[in-house]
Amino acid sequence: MTSNFTTDQSNITPQPSRRSVLRAVMYTAAAVPFGLPLAACATGGGGGEEATSAAPGGEMDAKNPFGMAENTTVDAVIFDGGYGVDYVEFAGTVLAGLHAGSTVKVSPSTQIATELQPRFVGGNPPDLVDNSGAQSIGFNTILDQLEDLTDIIDAPNVEGTTIRDTLYEGVLAPGTYGDKFAALNYVLTVYGVWYSGSLFDKNGWTPPATWEEAKALGAEAKKAGKYLFLWGTEAATYYQTLAIESAIKEGGDEVRLALENLKPDCWSNDSLQATFTIMKEIIDAGYFKPGGSGTQFTAAQAQWSNKQEALLYPSGSWIENEMKDQTASDFQMKGVPSFSVTASPAMPATALHSTAGEPFIVPSQAKSVAGGKELLRVMLSKEAATNFSKTKLAPTIVKDIVPADGFGSTALVSQTEMLSAAGTDIFTFNFVNTYGMNQEQLPIWNSFLDGKKSVADLTKELQAITDRIANDDTIDKIEVS
Amino acid sequence: MTAIPGAGQVLPAGEGAPAGPGRGPRRGRLGGWSFDTVSFFVVFLGLPLALFLVFVIWPFVQAAFYALTNWSGFTTEFDIVGLANFTTLLQDPRFVNAVGNSVMFGLFIPLITIVIALTFAILITVGGAGRGQIRGVRGSGFYRVVSLFPYVIPAIAVGIMWRLILDPSNGLVNGILTGLGLDRFQSFAWLGNVGTAMPVTMFVVVWGFVGFYMLLFIAAIKGVPSEIYEAARIDGAGRWRTSWSITLPLIRDNVQTAYIYLGIIALDLFVYVQALNPQGGPDNSTLVMSQQLFRTAFTEGKFGYASAMGVAMAIVTLVFAALVFTVNRLAGGRSERGRG
Repeated sequence: MTSNFTTDQSNITPQPSRRSVLRAVMYTAAAVPFGLPLAACATGGGGGEEATSAAPGGEMDAKNPFGMAENTTVDAVIFDGGYGVDYVEFAGTVLAGLHAGSTVKVSPSTQIATELQPRFVGGNPPDLVDNSGAQSIGFNTILDQLEDLTDIIDAPNVEGTTIRDTLYEGVLAPGTYGDKFAALNYVLTVYGVWYSGSLFDKNGWTPPATWEEAKALGAEAKKAGKYLFLWGTEAATYYQTLAIESAIKEGGDEVRLALENLKPDCWSNDSLQATFTIMKEIIDAGYFKPGGSGTQFTAAQAQWSNKQEALLYPSGSWIENEMKDQTASDFQMKGVPSFSVTASPAMPATALHSTAGEPFIVPSQAKSVAGGKELLRVMLSKEAATNFSKTKLAPTIVKDIVPADGFGSTALVSQTEMLSAAGTDIFTFNFVNTYGMNQEQLPIWNSFLDGKKSVADLTKELQAITDRIANDDTIDKIEVS
Repeated sequence: MTAIPGAGQVLPAGEGAPAGPGRGPRRGRLGGWSFDTVSFFVVFLGLPLALFLVFVIWPFVQAAFYALTNWSGFTTEFDIVGLANFTTLLQDPRFVNAVGNSVMFGLFIPLITIVIALTFAILITVGGAGRGQIRGVRGSGFYRVVSLFPYVIPAIAVGIMWRLILDPSNGLVNGILTGLGLDRFQSFAWLGNVGTAMPVTMFVVVWGFVGFYMLLFIAAIKGVPSEIYEAARIDGAGRWRTSWSITLPLIRDNVQTAYIYLGIIALDLFVYVQALNPQGGPDNSTLVMSQQLFRTAFTEGKFGYASAMGVAMAIVTLVFAALVFTVNRLAGGRSERGRG
């Protein structure tokens, strides 16, 4: 308080009247909400204007192809799901060893969209994100804020080979949107129907190759006091995946493209209808364990893997790792490709739905874009990929990593076998994830599997979702060919 | 205000007093602007007002503004689209369905909770023996404590717990029912059938709230002088008659408040439905507005449209509150001017 020493001055200064103080208080109070949030407000600030000025880079060479600056701390937000986050931490340790002074900070998250939404808007997204899980960010909303990752694929890996030459065929397709390679899907997922090798051996059963065989096996299961299939309420659409796989094998690419491009009547296709019909027969025969629509999905899966109340479960290859702690001893999990509808399908019986999952993205506005890319490059090294397959019992998109014994996992061996048997007959489809349809499809599938819906109801309601999205101009469509 | 100038005059108004309040000499005319007064205003008026504006009003204004845009939620760019979001909203069958479900919850949850809570409260306070002192049923203290237990458990834990209890294959409910020989409940999915999903969800919410509202009503009934009950009893009024003609009219303001609180909870309900039926229930029969809003914002990346849903939710809630007030007024409740 300077007035303590300059008392004369204070006499000259006009007294604050009650009105002026009150007014000042009011102005302040009124200005606070308009001033403060403008800086922090959802869309008021933003770092968009700085997006083009790349972070000060280090020197680019074969050991540091993206020019990551020295002493960088790479900020990675990783989906903490079936695979955990420790494989990225492992890669982070490798990165720290390659670039003395730089480190990786891995933050686990299960709510990617809610957690990162303010950071995307605020212009300070992380350097690397594993945009996966039920709460992932829809790709059509952030596509133009992501780096094209083609330069990673063309860079040499840590061992010196060009990364493109070390990857399986077709693994870049799921992360390519239009002409932009925006997401690097790290884990190779094989979709199929999974069963217990030991249980089948003991009973002399063989895993079915067609839906008719599956139905016959259902009768066998019933005799043994078991069910053929079971499901959990959040995972009812695994049976939709299975049905679409069978239909694509039956009818070929035309089925897939109609669904992917949201064509009218795509769900009424003959191959899909034939699959739905025989599924309905199996449901009506009572070969599905009842009550799935009220059962939490991992609890349901444990009824298959631990209690062995059902013989088969359709899923992606994450199932082994997901149920690791709840699988009966000597279960010997094995898989077969999804069933064919008839004996003469358009694609061979070995044709396989396989795709790369766990999409890693590098936001363009990240503090260290080079750091995010460098961490991905390290993850694609032989050392990091081997670590992943060994600890997670799942293949990555890097080939020639899994040894013949599959690190002791029958499921991993079975995946490698299915992949090599399929050869080039590998297909995938993305429309459910691209347009975020799963949530809406779940209730429909739960009712269908419960036996409460006819094939006609199922078709009509699934078509209604497709049509609504096709006719909504506010949704960006991604043409698939 | 008027008391403060007096207080100010007590203080020495000496010129240049080192630690004196305010700056410089104090003049008698207005004289109210001591440090006390200003700090009082800042702390007790300015600060709460600022907090209220920043954390309550400003988000409202923001949401109302974004409701007029096509903001995706992940960029800094958006266009103003006017009322287009609201016209889409009215034709969106998913949202209309969600509003319908929310209204069902909003109608039944408060009603059931209050009827049960009120019954218990009356039994515990005045429902005891017909002779002697007015008191509750035997062991009322025990019931009072026990019935509050569910309210102490966080909503998400209540949801998860009931989901396990209602599990079709390993749940307690079906275990007891099949144990009693009711074989049709073998693997019966309480949360997976259109006919049972909503009633069961309501049951879980009611279960969670009855204890608290019972306590609220007990406090209200304790405030009613026991002479009134004694007089009624001497006049020959039975338990039903006292409950209906004395207890209820005397605590109707509490009932109205409880009704509005419960209505607001029931119109939101996000945590419970998300725990019990995260995908919206069979045929979306338990999908509520807040769930659809969350899905639209974060899975579909349409924050502008989701904000419009938020505004619609606010309107539904306000209409609900207005309805409760009107019904209470029409039924002869307290008017603005006093007891009528």
